[in-house]
Amino acid sequence: MIELRFHHELYDGFAVDEAAKTYAEYGAMDLVREDHGYVVRVTLLPEAAAQGIDEPALAAEIANYALGKTIENLTRASAPAAGGAG
Amino acid sequence: MSEIKVIFGEGAVELEFDEGLYPKDAVYGAAYVFIDRCWVHLDRAGDKRIKVTLKGKSGSIDGQALAGEFQNEILGQAWRRLIVDDNRQLIESITTRALGGAAGPPGLDELLAMDIGDASAFEDPLGIAMSWEEKYSKKKSSPKPGEEREGAPADAPAATGEGKGA
Repeated sequence: MIELRFHHELYDGFAVDEAAKTYAEYGAMDLVREDHGYVVRVTLLPEAAAQGIDEPALAAEIANYALGKTIENLTRASAPAAGGAG
Repeated sequence: MSEIKVIFGEGAVELEFDEGLYPKDAVYGAAYVFIDRCWVHLDRAGDKRIKVTLKGKSGSIDGQALAGEFQNEILGQAWRRLIVDDNRQLIESITTRALGGAAGPPGLDELLAMDIGDASAFEDPLGIAMSWEEKYSKKKSSPKPGEEREGAPADAPAATGEGKGA
């Protein structure tokens, strides 16, 4: 089991949640909200291990996804609404 | 405390940035650039400090080069953000003008909504509503009976219908 910690000032909770759900087919995810952020405990599923996926790589992918999604959400939120032309 | 702290670990680099010098958005921008070739993780490293951990996806990494690239990128991002903030007012002004021009002339609803009263409706200071004859005809008293009209040729047909084609 690997524990990932995402600081609430740096990561979007929805992004962390989405990351965990996206990779749920490869590992068992346990999400907990703590004082300073979000904690995701990742345990690799045997089926994923059989495919050659290792637990640190899965955890790192989840962290990257959460960060990328956080940045995209922030960018979308700060951009002005684009009106459809034509 | 120095603005940037770099720690080289095994297959990973840790960099710490002061948020006063490098805003969070600049850190995000730089992290996003590296996300395709590194595992990137952000964390707090004390008050107003952000710790960025970069791990190479391919295993072995050149830590110093990676740290240097990240520092360059974050500086570029911070600088770009300053330029955007400085030019925001100008960009908004140009966009507003462009959108105003694209709206085109007023439509029927706008024309109907205009306040046109009896006093203002028939003001015609340029004489646009006047006919050409009213506007440009020579102001002269009407010719006396039996006198030829000025400018009319002697052999011109009379206005009674003479000379009309058969």
